[in-house]
Amino acid sequence: MNIFSDTWYLFVRHIKVSLRTPIWLFINLVQPLLWLVLFSRVFEGVVNLPGFTSDSYLKFFAPGVVIMTVLFGSAWTGFRLIQDMDLGILDKMLASPVSRVSIVLGRVFGAVAILVVQALLIFFIAWIMGVDIATGFPGVLLTVVVVVLLGVGFAGLSNGLAILMKNPDPLIALINFITLPIFFLSSAMMPGELLPGWIQTAKTFNPVSHAVESVRSLVIVGYQWDVILPDLLILAGVAVFMMAWATSMFRFRTA
Amino acid sequence: MPTISVTDLVKVYKGGIRAVDGVSFEVEAGELFAFLGPNGAGKSTTIKILTTLLKPTSGTAQVLGMDVRAHPAAVRRSIGYAAQDVGIDENATGRENLTLYGHFYRLDGVTIRRRVGELLELMDLTRDANRLVSTYSGGMRKRLDLAISLLHQPRVLILDEPTVGLDPQTRGHIGDYIHNLGKELGITVFFTTHYMDEADKLADRIAILDHGKIIALGTPLELKKEVSGDVVTLSLTADVASSSDGALEHSRELLQRQPFVRELQVLNSGLPITINVYVEKGETDLPRILRAMDSDGLTVQTISLSRPTLDDVFIKYTGRTMRDEEGRRTTWFQTDRNRRRLR
Repeated sequence: MNIFSDTWYLFVRHIKVSLRTPIWLFINLVQPLLWLVLFSRVFEGVVNLPGFTSDSYLKFFAPGVVIMTVLFGSAWTGFRLIQDMDLGILDKMLASPVSRVSIVLGRVFGAVAILVVQALLIFFIAWIMGVDIATGFPGVLLTVVVVVLLGVGFAGLSNGLAILMKNPDPLIALINFITLPIFFLSSAMMPGELLPGWIQTAKTFNPVSHAVESVRSLVIVGYQWDVILPDLLILAGVAVFMMAWATSMFRFRTA
Repeated sequence: MPTISVTDLVKVYKGGIRAVDGVSFEVEAGELFAFLGPNGAGKSTTIKILTTLLKPTSGTAQVLGMDVRAHPAAVRRSIGYAAQDVGIDENATGRENLTLYGHFYRLDGVTIRRRVGELLELMDLTRDANRLVSTYSGGMRKRLDLAISLLHQPRVLILDEPTVGLDPQTRGHIGDYIHNLGKELGITVFFTTHYMDEADKLADRIAILDHGKIIALGTPLELKKEVSGDVVTLSLTADVASSSDGALEHSRELLQRQPFVRELQVLNSGLPITINVYVEKGETDLPRILRAMDSDGLTVQTISLSRPTLDDVFIKYTGRTMRDEEGRRTTWFQTDRNRRRLR
């Protein structure tokens, strides 16, 4: 099937090209490490609050940093689609027989693959800093599933918005408008129980919270299937919905 | 059956701009056919419809007998396309870009390797094949773009402004490549340009486009014949006493009274006033114009004599010269790319 082979070639192309701009990868990796080191110091005292579920903020926050990297990393992928539109790269492809859907799938999967590697590196460094992961290596593999689902969801959203906006400036505003509140209203930095009531309600509709909580459960507690399974289902639903939306937007807009 | 057949094509963009306004033409097999016109004439829009990137508002466009709206996939398989912007990934090598498109055109691995080798050779890129495109010059990028469009051995090549943004020497080179593709490989080439000399030199037939309509169509020779005789271009400044309007009116009346003047075309009504005078025999009529102007107290600043060019054809039909009337919109990314190219 052409859709599979085209997706594969575009996936490989995306990764190759990304690796050729190492400064971009470097920043994306150093930034979460800064969060990891700085925030775990800044919020050290938070663990003494009554109701806080972990004895170390670093341990509590490490899953948050992983998810943050994935969220911001994937939410900006649409920017590159706009770049490709502007440079005529997209038109050139669209005038060839390449599968339309593959153009979206290849770049989304390529971006997510890089995010998976970044997430694993963050886990590794957190482990060196003294975070022992309750479920060990198999648990880390399960977090990869979470990373993929969340990444696909937000990369899909971002690419769909890129097609809709066609311009970098409104896209930048819109991505910030979506990702910043969605991150700070999640339980990435504070346990859900300590958040005010209405934010707790908002949190249940926030895919980032579901991603953070399933990963946190794997890191701190263990295989809490009653938490992890519903979270995975919700994230899978978001991923499928966003990709369906992005690809249909793409087919609709590109004739 | 013509290779390209367009009938009553109309494209109205959102906001009511009629970019293409009832265009009809046919391109025969093996022909080099040029769309000539200023920016905004509707050239690129027509190309985008022919390459299935845009849907027409009304009318039909067929490539090799296939309707672009009914069979877009089949059209894409059979055409080669190179756009005005070289749509090539800079962070990939020339060979990687070619190979990727080899897959898109459904060639098998062996064929891809063979075709990539052949085309790199044809476009003189073999030595640079494994370098990143970001290190390529503008001309090399254009050649690579042409190579990609030839991978699947298309019978039709559609090129949008193939030489825009290149220095004159490189423009000539790309022109030679296009000529060879058409004349040696027998590929039908449909291209747009706003360079008169290029259309004149390369094309078998030319359609001159303005405001979405074809205003003239024929071989370069036929078109130039429509402007018979010679062209005398003169410029003058107004006297201290009279305004530029007055001087223009005065000289226009004077010139129209001369029996040997066939037609007048005012190119610039401000200062310096510039007028094209179409005459039978330039060598004898030029001094007569000078004398007449002199005796009426009009000071001619410069005067020149030329054979009619396609520009004169354009002027004849539109009353304007075909200069770059407006700059193209450049975006962030393109500005960035241009900056790098300058280095």
